[in-house]
Amino acid sequence: MNISDSVVFSGHLGELYKLAKEGKIKTNLQGSHTRACKFWTAMKILSGIKNAIVIAHGPSGCAYGVKQAYKLTNCRNSGSPYESVLSTNIGEKNIVYGGEKELKGAILEVDKKYQPDIIIVATSCATGIIGDNIDSVVDELKSQINAETMTIHCEGFSGEYRSGFDLVFKELVKLMEPPTPELKAKLSKSVNIVGGKMGPERTEVDTDVKELIRLIEGMGASVNSVIAGNCTLEELKKAPSVAVNCSLCVDIGYVIGKEMLSQFGTPLNSTILPYGISATKKWIGGAAKYLGMEEEAKALMEREYNDIKVEFEESKKNLVGKTAIVEGHDAVKSLSIAHMLERDFGMRVVIFNFHPWSTGARETSIDYLLETGIDPEILITKGTLAFGRYESMKQTEDELLTFLGDISSESVVYFGSSLAFPNIPLVDLNAILNRPRFGFAGALKVAKCINTALKYSFRPRSYLTKRIVFPKNAGMASALSLTPKLSGDLPDCTVYSAGRRRGKCMNE
Amino acid sequence: MYERIKFEDSKYSKDPILGCALEGVASVIAGIEDVSIVIHSPQGCAATVASAYDTHEIDFTKRKIGCTRLFESDIIMGATQKLQDMIREADTAFKTKVMFVVGTCSADIIGEDIDAICKNMQAEITAKLIPIIAGGFRGNSYEGIDIGLEALFPFIKKEDTKINNTVNIIAPQANLNPTWWADLKWVSKTLELLGINVQCVIAHNTSLNELESAGKASANIILSHDVGYKFAQKMRDVHGIPLILEDIPLPIGMKNTTGWLTTLGKHFNVEEKVEQLIEEGEEFVVEILRKRALMIIPRYRNCRVAISADATIGIGLVRMIFEELEMIPELLLFKSDMPESKRILERELDDLGISPKVAFSIDGYQIKKALTDIKVDAVVGSAWEKYIAEEVGIKIAFDVLNPTNRDVYVDKEYFGYVGMLNILEVFANDWERAFRSKEINWKECSKE
Repeated sequence: MNISDSVVFSGHLGELYKLAKEGKIKTNLQGSHTRACKFWTAMKILSGIKNAIVIAHGPSGCAYGVKQAYKLTNCRNSGSPYESVLSTNIGEKNIVYGGEKELKGAILEVDKKYQPDIIIVATSCATGIIGDNIDSVVDELKSQINAETMTIHCEGFSGEYRSGFDLVFKELVKLMEPPTPELKAKLSKSVNIVGGKMGPERTEVDTDVKELIRLIEGMGASVNSVIAGNCTLEELKKAPSVAVNCSLCVDIGYVIGKEMLSQFGTPLNSTILPYGISATKKWIGGAAKYLGMEEEAKALMEREYNDIKVEFEESKKNLVGKTAIVEGHDAVKSLSIAHMLERDFGMRVVIFNFHPWSTGARETSIDYLLETGIDPEILITKGTLAFGRYESMKQTEDELLTFLGDISSESVVYFGSSLAFPNIPLVDLNAILNRPRFGFAGALKVAKCINTALKYSFRPRSYLTKRIVFPKNAGMASALSLTPKLSGDLPDCTVYSAGRRRGKCMNE
Repeated sequence: MYERIKFEDSKYSKDPILGCALEGVASVIAGIEDVSIVIHSPQGCAATVASAYDTHEIDFTKRKIGCTRLFESDIIMGATQKLQDMIREADTAFKTKVMFVVGTCSADIIGEDIDAICKNMQAEITAKLIPIIAGGFRGNSYEGIDIGLEALFPFIKKEDTKINNTVNIIAPQANLNPTWWADLKWVSKTLELLGINVQCVIAHNTSLNELESAGKASANIILSHDVGYKFAQKMRDVHGIPLILEDIPLPIGMKNTTGWLTTLGKHFNVEEKVEQLIEEGEEFVVEILRKRALMIIPRYRNCRVAISADATIGIGLVRMIFEELEMIPELLLFKSDMPESKRILERELDDLGISPKVAFSIDGYQIKKALTDIKVDAVVGSAWEKYIAEEVGIKIAFDVLNPTNRDVYVDKEYFGYVGMLNILEVFANDWERAFRSKEINWKECSKE
């Protein structure tokens, strides 16, 4: 196979972005490559509000799905108590005659039995189509219940993947109270971290959010709220009075930050995910500017850098001038890692199989990256756009192997999941022991991770893990074939083709 | 009999613990080999279908799923063309014998005529097209399994001659054992030992040929007390295949296993072989427990227990817990509400002479409320019940059912004699953990 026969796009991110905007490259996601719908993404943010009950007005399956995915995970990893997601559980009869009576009943019941701070009524496809007027139902009941209320129109069909994030963040701003001089004075050394989701942080992991909070506090400031990462209604109400909003994820944090800026004048510090020193400095510096704590920030950054200097500089020596192949299936992460690798490590970055669909879904991150002068190379092969997840994987893997075939393992490093078996050194930043990934502590973790990966790159990859991922005699196969539950998190490069020269693991 | 619990404030608001009809339908389709599925829906529904495929641990290479990804304009203008294009694309890419075309809530409500689309396109499509309307509002996942089974029915060929000593096994997946296929395997192996052949499993790793020949079986067995009765009844009416073992608990615990095997033996005139299995099985359980678990007698005796389960496992657990472990089943919470299984439960409780508090079709709120109000020492359930138990101050939670927090690498059946030991092993470990110190008090123990 000649790689040029398989290439759909090879160029820089800026060019891809332009082509996508002009409609000159297909950006639609194939029917076999679905993402979460608007309902799911809306619910992911709503799950991050404490003592709030969501009533999903629709059949029970929608509420059940998100409860399993988000709430059970929160119980398991973050020590949350059992949290309900309610449903009006409408049936065939309601589809014909409407379900407003059921919704009224549900709101009254929920107010009584859960006594939440806020009841959020979310639409599903079914109730969106039949046209139940959830706003008027909620308005009518406001005087009869104790909880505050909010409606979210998030039918699964009514928008793409990220539209649910954006919608909820915009709606949350409506719950906020305008800043007052007293509150502004009280919160003058406080920030909100915006763009969080799902709920509390994991109890046993040094997460990225915890690291950002540590940095803010290390400067002598404090965090009013992580929105929406286990935030309270009270925190939300006073959120506009803080000195600055700092985005956690530039994509979804930007929307709420911009809305608060426009509604209340709350400043926004928006950067790419703070992977690495350069992005972290910008993140801290941006916050410090509005906190009036530039000196404290400078001292903090010096302190933090000195703590990691030796190991960080060692990893830099290992990488400078080399090429990085970065898995593109998680678009925001791949862009942030690209930023780090280019700015901090002086690497040439090629993001492999960044789906053109992501140019729309991750517009804010791309804008930010291009504005800051980073324009990584992008390689998209036909397999990425092929129909059928497994079929697409097989084709993509073949193409990647062909692409890597001519590349020296001395000059290229693969940044992606360790479920991948490329014939070059592999650095997996996502492993749980490599957290946090943000901030200086993150930069140190990244450095350690790189140094360890390179130091032990002489070791052939485990024959056991290879066989787990790629069944014996299966020829071209995929990690996805054996780990369906992980399918959402798998890398682009997961191929190991036994017996093929180019597919062989390095040093083997 | 039992005392039915009444819950206030639960008429309109449900905290669901079951998926929707689509998940049930997909969990039946996922049991058939060499089929593809095209979902005519917004993209979020694909997660529900994926979840059903996960239930069968379907190898990713065999997941042939396409979704029309409906958006607002499709809802307004209709999306027939989009579906037709997707069917063509999926036919070319997946090359399967059969393609199920499934309409979910949106397609169902806007009235996409999936039946007609499939009929009109059949001539140009290689795969046999099977339309199914599966709007999530048509019921919960159990009801969805029944809809899915109904869709498989036309595949079964009419056979005048039945093969002696053959059975179909129906709905093995409606079972909360995290590795439910081990229960299926136990049943299949037991049947084989008794000289009874499995004609068709409906459906898990089932080929279309096997499904077509299901009409040859001489009996049907449902491996669930939560679904499948309608299908079995139709099999009896249309194909003349009787349903057996339908009115006794499934083989959970020693006595239930013995009872189930005995009934099976009588039906197929293999009592002698069954007696041998029973003797060996019971002896095996007793030997193991004598050596490794003598202390379960004082440990579990008169411990007040809540069971929060499906009827499939839950009904069988009642006798095992009460008679064999000398615990007291104080509270029984069932996910489903099948009249057939209720009758079995009633008979069991009458026979045991106990009157626990019982609720059917429960939701998350009701589980928490019942566990808060009715004082028990331990809960048998899933990870959900474990967290709720911790929250309401119940010390012991047996995390036996799906969704579980346990990692299970080696498949473990809950049916049969070894199955009983597998359940008891979880009980024993969770009991021990409940009473084990969570931390070392360094300060108190330190010499300084």
